[in-house]
Amino acid sequence: MANPDILGASGKKVVLLGNEAIVRGALESGLGFSAAYPGTPSTEVGMSLADFAKKLGIYFEWSTNEKLAFEACVGASFCGVNSITSMKHFGFNVASDSVFPVVYTGVRGALVIVVADDPGGLSSAQSEQDTRLHARLGNIPVLEPSNAQECRDFAKIAFEISKKYEIPVIIRTTTRTSHAVGTVKLGKIKKGITSGEFRKDYGRYYNIAPALQKLHGKVLEKLAGIEREYSKINKIEGNGKTGIITSGICYEYVKEMGLKNVKIAKLNLSNPIAPEFIKKFAKGLKKIIVVEELEPVIEQFVNQVLFDEKIKIYGKSLFPRYGEFSAELVAEKIAPLAGIKRQDFKKHDALLGKLKIPIRRPVLCQGCPHRSTFYAAQKVFGNSAIWAGDIGCYTLGVYEPYFTDDFVLSMGSGTGIAHGIKKVSNQRVVSFIGDSTFFHAGMPAIANLSYNKSNPVVVILDNSITAMTGQQPCANSGINALGEGAKTIQIEDVVKALGISNIKIANSYSQKDMQEAFKQASEQKEAVVVISRGICRLLLKRQLHRKGKGFAKYSIDQEKCIKCRICSDKYACPAIIRKKNYIWIERELCWGCGVCPQVCPVNAISLEAKK
Amino acid sequence: MIHNVLFIGVGGEGVLSASVVLARAANLEGFEVRGTQLHGLAQRGGSVPIHLRFGNYVHSPTIPRAKADLIIGLEPAEALRACYFAERKRTNFVVDAFPIVPIYARLNKQEYPEMKGIGKMLKPFAKKLIMADASDICEKSLGNPVYGNIAMLGIALSNKMLPISRKSLLAALKETFPKDYENNARALEIGLKWEK
Repeated sequence: MANPDILGASGKKVVLLGNEAIVRGALESGLGFSAAYPGTPSTEVGMSLADFAKKLGIYFEWSTNEKLAFEACVGASFCGVNSITSMKHFGFNVASDSVFPVVYTGVRGALVIVVADDPGGLSSAQSEQDTRLHARLGNIPVLEPSNAQECRDFAKIAFEISKKYEIPVIIRTTTRTSHAVGTVKLGKIKKGITSGEFRKDYGRYYNIAPALQKLHGKVLEKLAGIEREYSKINKIEGNGKTGIITSGICYEYVKEMGLKNVKIAKLNLSNPIAPEFIKKFAKGLKKIIVVEELEPVIEQFVNQVLFDEKIKIYGKSLFPRYGEFSAELVAEKIAPLAGIKRQDFKKHDALLGKLKIPIRRPVLCQGCPHRSTFYAAQKVFGNSAIWAGDIGCYTLGVYEPYFTDDFVLSMGSGTGIAHGIKKVSNQRVVSFIGDSTFFHAGMPAIANLSYNKSNPVVVILDNSITAMTGQQPCANSGINALGEGAKTIQIEDVVKALGISNIKIANSYSQKDMQEAFKQASEQKEAVVVISRGICRLLLKRQLHRKGKGFAKYSIDQEKCIKCRICSDKYACPAIIRKKNYIWIERELCWGCGVCPQVCPVNAISLEAKK
Repeated sequence: MIHNVLFIGVGGEGVLSASVVLARAANLEGFEVRGTQLHGLAQRGGSVPIHLRFGNYVHSPTIPRAKADLIIGLEPAEALRACYFAERKRTNFVVDAFPIVPIYARLNKQEYPEMKGIGKMLKPFAKKLIMADASDICEKSLGNPVYGNIAMLGIALSNKMLPISRKSLLAALKETFPKDYENNARALEIGLKWEK
């Protein structure tokens, strides 16, 4: 359940996550419509709206991808309803095909896009792309909050700008703002309209030439207006000969240093930036340090504006262009230029060097259906098969002992690339794709390989939920975001309609079933789709918990166990513990999936007798 | 004065909910609160560090190196991972001695350190180190080890490692677990009464 403090009384101070504070800001701005596709670190925007939408009488949906979520918001906005959508940085790649033209046509109701970047890839496996550059490409205004309070405040400004200038506005966060908590002072929730009408306005909502060029010019005029009117939200603090220009979370890292005799510019509106603001700030400065994660977006602009000035400008000459920053890193780089002595950590380093800390990486949950699928696939196809991975919990197959991802790139790409490989190589290619990913971007990939005729084995992992981001329902879950009954779109029906005749449906939790399906698939000359169907174990756990029930437990008969280590090291369920040659199932951890007895060669594992 | 608390444990241990309770309690005390949370990929049985800072005013949501006042380790080996933020003049540790052996250590032929060894490695970073079997006690008296996280807040409180009142913590528990307040409040009491 979402954090109830999001709906706290006006004037109250509460602790909110950045994402939750954005939702509050939206609710204070007359929000009427919302849609999103989950993606860490943006998901709590949608999750909070999903939980509260009914209560507030507004609309929310988990759309099947980010582009569709954005388009739904465009529809609402064209009818005058204020809307918000949220996505992670790669989600914006998907949405941008529609975002860019809508910037030209403009919107009617406010339309705010929350894009959560993830420097360092704490929860992303694609790239460290910087949405500020994307926004420049599309001429989209960008607000960059530094903390939870600003997430709420800037959401309000974003709605105001969007409504007034009839342009979509981006709130760009990074993991340490979207997934950081902070004290937030709440304002008054404003009820927005939830229904409207599309007013025919011939010529307004399309970009066909020659109108295209005029509209482009109009966008630039809008940006100039926003620059004039909203540069005031940028802040200048302190005084000195050394200046620091920063934005977002980096501002907090700079402030953490408690610097004196330094002048700081905080860019809250990081696109467009007013040249006059930079010029005014630079007056009397000898050097300027630009502190920004990822790309030198502000730095390049500052260099351009201060081209004629004799001010030394530092930016990426000091700071890395990759990875996440921290208070330490910022202090370490700025200290010498600001004439500050840093604490010496040599002794601390030596002590840390003595620690022996075991590796701990994320794992598939105990009882996860994907583990069973991977185990069966490795058994049947062997490691000479080329494994095409995709985005979801099953990306974790990349690690030992499964090694079922030879490449992982982007949503739906595993199957798209598998097709290309099959066109030039005779190698066996097996692609894995989750159900939510199938509805997001997998369907076109299967249509393409069917139409253009190639024959990888496509394994669709149907656990009936978007699991990785925290159990959001998707098109085959049978319920919608609001918990209401919805159409269950059967994956096999879709795949059949896309022209695939070899479809095998197997129970993920049955090794016999899975291995049989894979064997049959391996004998086919044409494309095969294997649907591995088994409910997400974590989802089942929650469903049982609600009914006051738990899982049956399995245990290992130590007399029968031959210490072959198949269950502990090859099947490798985290509930199965091995210390040297002693192997047992940790009772508390066992989620009773019943697959480990199927991989045991001597029937040493069985269901515990009922007490 | 800023008070820095680092929670660390394994996804699924209740690291997040313990931090939410303390954040709410600190807010009730009138402190400015900042911190981090971790969601998504990192949760799946991975290491979960959660930073919580409160005071008159806080900037960075993450604790600077060697500046933690309290480290609550819900898993002993994870407490080791938190030592980057610890320093013996400043940092208190409350560590649950309930190990969750990571599967990857085993697959990479790493030995999980013995409990005594973990204590020895933590000592050079600790002003005070408390190793408690909070999960075990909660399993015995409340029927579920999951309450161990709240018992550990109680242990920290009774050892004067938190500038928060018992009253605020109880109020925060009520807000955080409206349906399961009784057991959580009992877990806090178990921690408050805990003695080595």
